[in-house]
Amino acid sequence: MINPEMNKLVEVLLAGDHAAALAEARRLRAAGMASERIVTEGLEAAMQRLDDKCTVESFNLLEIMLAGRAVSAVVNELYPEGVPPEQGRDTFVIATLEGDVHDLGKNIAKMVLIGKGYRVVDLGKDCPVETLVNAAEREHAHAVLVSGLITPVIPQVRKVRPALDKRGLGGIRVVAGGAALKQSSAEALNVDYVAETAFDGARYLDSVARGALS
Amino acid sequence: MNSLERIKAAIAFAPVDRTPAVPQLFGHAAVLAGVVLSDYLRDGGLLARCQIEALQHYGHDLVFAFMDLCVETEAVGSILQYRENQYPDVASYVLSPAGDVSVLAVPDPAIAGRMPELLRAAGILRLELDDTVLVAGCVAGPMTLATQLIGIETALYLAADDPARFEKILDFSAAVAIRYGTAQIEAGVHLPIVFDPSASPAVVPPQFFRELLLPRLQRVFASFRQAGALANWLNTAGPTETTLPYYPEAGADIANFDYYVEPQRAQQLLPRTCLDGNLKSLLFVEASPDEVTAAASRLVAAFAERGGFLLSSGCEIPPEAKPENIAAMVAACRGG
Repeated sequence: MINPEMNKLVEVLLAGDHAAALAEARRLRAAGMASERIVTEGLEAAMQRLDDKCTVESFNLLEIMLAGRAVSAVVNELYPEGVPPEQGRDTFVIATLEGDVHDLGKNIAKMVLIGKGYRVVDLGKDCPVETLVNAAEREHAHAVLVSGLITPVIPQVRKVRPALDKRGLGGIRVVAGGAALKQSSAEALNVDYVAETAFDGARYLDSVARGALS
Repeated sequence: MNSLERIKAAIAFAPVDRTPAVPQLFGHAAVLAGVVLSDYLRDGGLLARCQIEALQHYGHDLVFAFMDLCVETEAVGSILQYRENQYPDVASYVLSPAGDVSVLAVPDPAIAGRMPELLRAAGILRLELDDTVLVAGCVAGPMTLATQLIGIETALYLAADDPARFEKILDFSAAVAIRYGTAQIEAGVHLPIVFDPSASPAVVPPQFFRELLLPRLQRVFASFRQAGALANWLNTAGPTETTLPYYPEAGADIANFDYYVEPQRAQQLLPRTCLDGNLKSLLFVEASPDEVTAAASRLVAAFAERGGFLLSSGCEIPPEAKPENIAAMVAACRGG
């Protein structure tokens, strides 16, 4: 159930109207609403609506990107210095691994997770496994996410789990997604979960955050 | 029946001696021949030799005069980054986010970028194979080229924020596809396949496809038909269940379908259009030959009664695919 005060914000977020979303977030702030409430009752509600709408068959990048851009605009307005770790929910580190320069899938996943109130550290594309592991340790990440559009990146994906284990970070979950990786399996990729879509991955991470899978 | 006759018959829903095998082998032909991929992608003579060697190795039914989906944007002026054994990607787009497409010129395939090399490959393949095997050219579809000219994120935001400017880019892209595809037909390909992965419902909603992309695809295919294409072939990959019904209206005679769409569903959606698909690309990298044989045989059986089918993968077979898996797919067409 959406808080009626948030109806307008949710509506413009879903329409992908980032200018209107920004204006509405500013209005709510001016009316005394706390940033954290705008995120948890506005942004997260909009992302849940989008999640309900986006089945595997009807998931398309355009609609997600427009909503994601609107969400990012609001988050940047509320937290110009970035979401503080103590306010963000779990922290995730996300990257497209070395050998793959296609980062749209990663960017989509990042937008969805930010919209759900998570703190996301983005390492960009063509990222070495070692850089990913270093960031996971430094940021106290709860999970690392890797996206892959092309199959030659698969050997890199398989290296992530052992590299984390070697550093004593065996508790960090590894999630894979993207056109090439989702054709494979968690077992074949040596990861904890293979996400069919960004929302599917986010649902898995929600379960991890709730401790449902521990 | 030779390969060309077999494919022609399948397109016409006429009897065939066996299901045609049309694995999407592009860069894999270089890997199989022990050739560096970035050399293969820049040398038309080498590309033709590798395609012919792959044909002799596997015994499938068509060859591809195709480099990669960056040829057109490079010819227009984008700067590519080449890597030894990967496909190139765009390092610098010819159109900046605020750029004006009207200052760009449709490239002349005889002189622009790698296009002349691709035309050379098409000519060699047609000559060497003497009209026994289908020689397929390839062009980037209007949506895919639009995203390659300006970047996919910028293109998608532009489509929402400034539709008029975005449509001008689409029109330019369609004009490039028409000129390049027509040159390929003149150089010897039997047909240029339109690859338009950015038109997939995974990227844009069906309404976007219907309103913005369908009219441009119609223009492209009408031009190819007029230029003498044997048939029109559209390949967008991904979950295309919502857009497949528009393919005949676009002018496509052959419709690729990916692993997301069940064969029976594809048949319902396109009862009189030749279909090609839909093995998972990754199957060729990760599975065993027995698993490929089983999956391919199921597909062949699914179309045995209907006909109008070319056995293929839903998307490209990755360059690093296991040769024994491709051999297993081709053998499944021969009932072995």
